[in-house]
This record gives sequence, structure tokens and C-alpha cells, in this order.
Amino acid sequence: MRKTAIALAALSAAAMLAGCAATGPAAAGPAARGQRAAASQRAATSKDGSARVTARTASAGSASGSAGAGSCNPYASLSPEPGGPAVTGGSFAAKIRKQGFLIAGVDQTTYHFGYLNPLDGQIEGFDIDMIKDVAAAIFGISPASSAIASRVHFKAISDVDRIKDVQDGTVDIVAHTMTVNCARQQQVDFSTIYYDASAQILVDKPAGGGTAPTLARLGQQHARVCATSGSDDLAIIARAHATPVPETYWTDCLVLLEEGQVAGIVTDNSILYGMQAQDPDTVVTGPALEAEPYGLAISKAHPDFVRFVNAVLARAVADGQWLASCRQWVASTCQRPGWPIDYVS
Amino acid sequence: MAGAAARLADVPGGRSGLPARDHAPAPGTARVAQRTGAPGTGAPGTGAPVRGTRRIGTLAAGLSTPGRLRRMLAWLILATLAWGSLAAFTAFQHTSGAGTVVSASEPLTHDALQIWQSLSDANDAAGAAVLAGALPPQTVLARYTSDINQAKRDIADAAARGAPMSEIQALQVGLTSYTDEVSRAEANDLLGFPVGAGYFRQASTQMTGQLLPAAHDLYTLEDDRLASASAQATGLPLVVVTILAGLALGYAYYRCARWLTRRTHRLLNGGLAVAGAVAALALLWLVSAYFIGRSDLLAAQSQGSTPVIALANADIAAAKAHTDEALTLIDNSGDDSYQGDFKTLQGNLGPGPGTLLAKAQSATAGSPAAGDASAAARQAQAWFTAHQAVRVADDQGQHQDAVAMVLSGAAKQAYGNLSADLGQAITADDAAFASDASSGQGAFSGLGPGIIAATLVMVAALVWGLSRRLAEYR
Repeated sequence: MRKTAIALAALSAAAMLAGCAATGPAAAGPAARGQRAAASQRAATSKDGSARVTARTASAGSASGSAGAGSCNPYASLSPEPGGPAVTGGSFAAKIRKQGFLIAGVDQTTYHFGYLNPLDGQIEGFDIDMIKDVAAAIFGISPASSAIASRVHFKAISDVDRIKDVQDGTVDIVAHTMTVNCARQQQVDFSTIYYDASAQILVDKPAGGGTAPTLARLGQQHARVCATSGSDDLAIIARAHATPVPETYWTDCLVLLEEGQVAGIVTDNSILYGMQAQDPDTVVTGPALEAEPYGLAISKAHPDFVRFVNAVLARAVADGQWLASCRQWVASTCQRPGWPIDYVS
Repeated sequence: MAGAAARLADVPGGRSGLPARDHAPAPGTARVAQRTGAPGTGAPGTGAPVRGTRRIGTLAAGLSTPGRLRRMLAWLILATLAWGSLAAFTAFQHTSGAGTVVSASEPLTHDALQIWQSLSDANDAAGAAVLAGALPPQTVLARYTSDINQAKRDIADAAARGAPMSEIQALQVGLTSYTDEVSRAEANDLLGFPVGAGYFRQASTQMTGQLLPAAHDLYTLEDDRLASASAQATGLPLVVVTILAGLALGYAYYRCARWLTRRTHRLLNGGLAVAGAVAALALLWLVSAYFIGRSDLLAAQSQGSTPVIALANADIAAAKAHTDEALTLIDNSGDDSYQGDFKTLQGNLGPGPGTLLAKAQSATAGSPAAGDASAAARQAQAWFTAHQAVRVADDQGQHQDAVAMVLSGAAKQAYGNLSADLGQAITADDAAFASDASSGQGAFSGLGPGIIAATLVMVAALVWGLSRRLAEYR
């Protein structure tokens, strides 16, 4: 076991060096694939999940490898400059600093990740905390200070506009429970993964303390299961032979579940935990149906900004800021991130 | 001769007016003639026709005056009764039409209109409450509650007045589930949960997709029934026929009067004159009642129900657009489907040519609501301008500022004024309709029984007048 690990590490190190020296993307391909196999084993929480993740990234990886647009490893991102986040002259971060505020595309209706709290009119959540960390680093203030509010313009964007708004510069960065996948990696750049969610199912708590039904069992009954239209989750539901019910918003799915019109909701467990917090009679259950690693989306025109953001994230993990946010917004049992962070130069 | 004298002798006291030579018959001859009853063998040489011939002549109603008198009386009575029935029927048709308008159709239409308006305003208030978040202002909650209660009362009232049961049940069931969802929306909002917005979206979709169309259908149905009752009350054909028949009757009286004048050498027959006068008065009463009632009921439509429906269309469209304005801010997701709907409604409202507000303005011209309708058109423009500012603020990320504008700022003021102007306009023209309709009904009051009474008087007068002439022949 140890020999295999050492061999793999040596192989990947050699490949990375070779890749950096060579023309880059094509050479990094095989090394990345090797890393990917190990990464997927660590990331998956069940045999099913890992097999699927491996298969998906493998097939997508070969496709993107042939296109030559970069390796398809969701856990890979540009490496940060050593020494922490620094706003160097002429960089995109410097431009934002001169502009006076960071424009962030966020969700304002996903409970605990990005939402407008009607009780105090503040936009808050785990995604929001990531943005605040980035803004704090750009403007040299503490993320907890009240000055942050004037330094960030939070722009509510819908799921379909996430990529377009980053590409055309409407927003500088997107934090929107956005899953990193190969197709998207061809259109925008992503930071390192800041949260590794996975798709699960939310169902009503079974009466009398029985076991909650999984998607497989609901599929046997051809039960109705909800997901937002345009999401991959509808395909997951269909593959399990349940009846997909598309809705415009996630909250509409929760309304249907509470009214008994659907038997479950399939999406990222991050969103599902937010729903469970709104309705204690529901429970997130079942095996991980798909890996949903979240990244912050940045335009391909600003690789220096990607490095800057990665440095911010690395520092947040190191000094406990990330863990505090996770424990506040996601679960009190959050541990330090256990997924791989693969830097590519 | 002897027979005539005998008949004359039988009549107590005899009748004056016949030549003296008819008097003083031979008593014996008279009694003999009576006892036998045989075809009279009149004394030869008197020059009078044979008794039998006279009787046959009477039966055949040939050239004999009494016969013709009797026939004339019979026909006149028949014609008078016929005209009286026609006139009474016309009167009752119009009276019942006006009565239906005032006591059945108008209250039902009013109920349906109020249901439609209350539901629309309730949804608008619920939207404002959800947008306000955890602590909606008391005024907004009170408006929602009073609108829902008003709608429930009006639905029950409409059911009691005979609105179609299927529509009523659809409204009742739908309203129950709607209020359920709004209370869940507000409960979740109070806890700060975004799912509250989801419940309100569902409630609002049900309102605009099911409840408001059902209320509109009920209103249209009742308004059509009102229009047909009004048409029954103002319809022309029956009255025209009655007038023509009355003129024909008058002409018949005139001809009979002339014949009587020639035969009896009297200028005027009392009974016929009285009957003619009463007929003329009855006809005059019918015609004037009809024209007054008709003008009142037509005014009720042109200054009442027609402008009200145009104003209501504008009011409901404005409320829907206002809810769209709130929903875009509630959803806060960058999705612009509600804003798209707002733009469509803005185009429909106007005030440009062919738009709802322009139609309301032209419909209310000359009615009490004209001033309010023009004010509403101006307020709509102010609101659309304020709405632009709301969208600019929201799109630039100043979401809280945009919400404040809608809840308490310029946009709220402008929409509030618009809604108040339209509401006042509707109330004014609704009241105008009620008063015009009831004065229209008043014009017909007593017409039916009056016609019947007049007809009976005419018949009695005819009988009195002509039987006096007939008695002269006994």
C-alpha cells in the first residue's frame, strides 16, 4: 500500500515537472488522470459514487484532453503565488481595488449559502462568506468588519446566467453553489474547490421512526421527485426510474414536498441542508448520488485573479476562517476540508 | 206596428224619444199579440214591416240599428279588452325587466364586481406583506384580512341571490386553499425562511390563474344577465305595437262615434267619449312611462355599468402589475419573468390609444367618474416612472433601496393614488347605476295595474254608453 502511494506520488511529481517544462496541457493530461483516480477514491463516499465519478470524469477527461483545453479535474486550479494573497500592480485585483468595490454574482434565495435574510435585510451564507474573504483580501480589511458591505456589490443572478455574466464581465466573480465540471471548465475558470457537496435526496421524516426511503426505493415506486428545471438532478431522478418533477426554484420544490405533492427532492446536500433547516420534518438521506464540488467562477481572461483567489482560500483554511464559516452555515460537525486541492501552474 | 207598440207598452214607463204616434196602442190587440206569439198579422195599411221579418232581421244583424249596435258594442268590448291585455302585457314586461334589473341583476353584478376587486387587492396586499419580510406593517395585514373577508361575504351573498353554483364553489374552494398558502408564506417569512417566498409564488399563481379568471367569468355572466334584463325593460317593439294598436282602437271608437252620431242624431255618445278619453290617457301614461324609464335605464348603462367594467379592467390589470413588481423583488434571483409580465401589463394599461386606461376615460366621459378616471391616467404615468427607478436600483445591486421604494417610497405613493382613483371612479359610477336604475323602475311603477283598471273603466263606459242606445229600441 505504502509502496503504491510513494510510486504514485513520485510519478505525479515527475509528470508535473515534465508538464510545466513542456507545452503544458497535453503533457499534464496523463498525470492529471492519475491524480484524478486517487482523488476520486478519496472524495467519493460510497462505491456507487466513486465508480460514477471516475467514469464521468474519465470520459469527460478524454474529451477535454483531445480538445486540448486543459485537464478535466474539478479539483485542479491555478496555483497561487507563494506568500499569501497580494494585490500586485496591473493585476485584476488591483483594478478592482481602484474601482472601489467587487461585483459578485450570487444567489439570494438559497438558505444558508446565499440568501437575503428578511429579518435584518442582510445577504448572508457560506458562499457570501467566501466572497467577503476575497473582498477583505483585495481591500486589506478584516472580513468581519462592517466596511465590507460597501466593498461588495452583490448581484442576484439566476442559474442560467452564471457563466454568461462572468464571461462578459457583468460580474467579477460568481459564488453560487456552482458545481465544477468539464463542460463549464471550458467556458470559465474556477478557483480551488471550497466545498465538496454531493447530490442526495431530501424526504419527509418517516413516521414512527422507520428508515427514510432512498432514491432507489422511490424509483421502484415510480414516485414523484422534484428538482429545478435545467439541472443535472432531473437526469439522476430519471435514471433511478422515479418521476422527475421540474420546478423553477428550489423553494418551489420544498413547497411541493411540504404539501405532499412530491415524495422527495434531489440536489446538492448543501441546498438540502438549508431546506431541512426550514422544515425539521424532513431529512437528508441516502447515498451520495453524484459529487458536486463547488468552485468560485472567474473569467478566463484573468488567470492572475484565479491565483489570487486560491491564495485567499488557502489562507482561510489555514487560519480557521473557513472552518468557522462552515460550522456557522453548513453543519456544526464540519471538519477541515478533506478533498484534494490540485495546483496546476 | 202593433208588435212594436206592444213591446213599447211592456217597457215600464215607455221610452221617450220615439214619435208620439207609437204610443197609446189598443190594449186588447197588444195582449192578443203577446199571448199567441204567432207571426204577427199586423194591421194592414200601417206601413210597418212584418213582425217576423223584423225578428229575423235582428238575428241576422242586418240593417237593423239595435243589431248593429249590439254588434258594435261586442266588437268594441273585444277590441278594448284585447288592447288592454296587450298594453298590460307590455307594461308588465317592462316593469318586470326593470324590477329584475334593480332587485336581482344589479346586486348580483355588484357582488361579482366586488369579489373580483377584493381578491385582486388581497393578493396585492399579501405580496406587500411578503416583500416587507418578517415584520409587515399592520396596515398591510389589515388590508389583506378585510379584503378576504369582503370576498367571502360577497361570495355568500351572490350564492344566496342565485349565482350559478359551479362558479361559487370554484371560488370558495380556491379561496380556502389560497388563504392557506398565504398564511404559510407569512409564517415562514416571519422565521426568515426563503420557502415563504415559494408559498407566496404558488398562492399568487393560483390567484391570477384560477381565482381571478373565475371571478371575472362570474362578473361577465351577471353583467350579461343585467344587460338582457335591461333590454327587456327598454325594448321598443312591444311598445310600438301597443301604440299602433291603441291608435287603431281610437280610430275604431271614432268611427263608431260617427256612426252613432248619424244614426241617433246626438253629437256625442257619453260612454264612447269616456272610453276614448280613458284610452288616450292610458296610452299617454304608457308612452311617457316607457320613454322616461327607457332613458333612465339606458343612462344607467352608459353612465353606470359600461364605465364600471372598463374601470374594473384597468384596476385589475394595475393590481396584477403591482404584484409582479413585488414578486420580482421577492424572488430576487435575476429571473425576469415577472418583470416581463409587468412590461406587458404596462403596455396594456397605457394611457395611450386603445389601452385600458384610455378606454376607461372614454367610457366615463359624462359620468360622475370622469374626473377620477383622468386622474388615474396621470397617476399611472407617475407610477411607471417610479417603477423604472426601482428597477435601476435593483439591477445595480441596491436591493434594499428598491424594496423601500416599493413599500413606502415614490412607487408606493403613485400606485396607491392610482388604485384609490380607480376605486373612487368605480364607486361613483356604480352608485350612478343604482340610482338611475331605480328611477327607471319607478317610472314603470303602477303601470300594469293602471292599464288594467283603465281597460275595465273603458269597457264599463262602453257598456253604459251603448246600452243606453240599445235600450231605446226596446
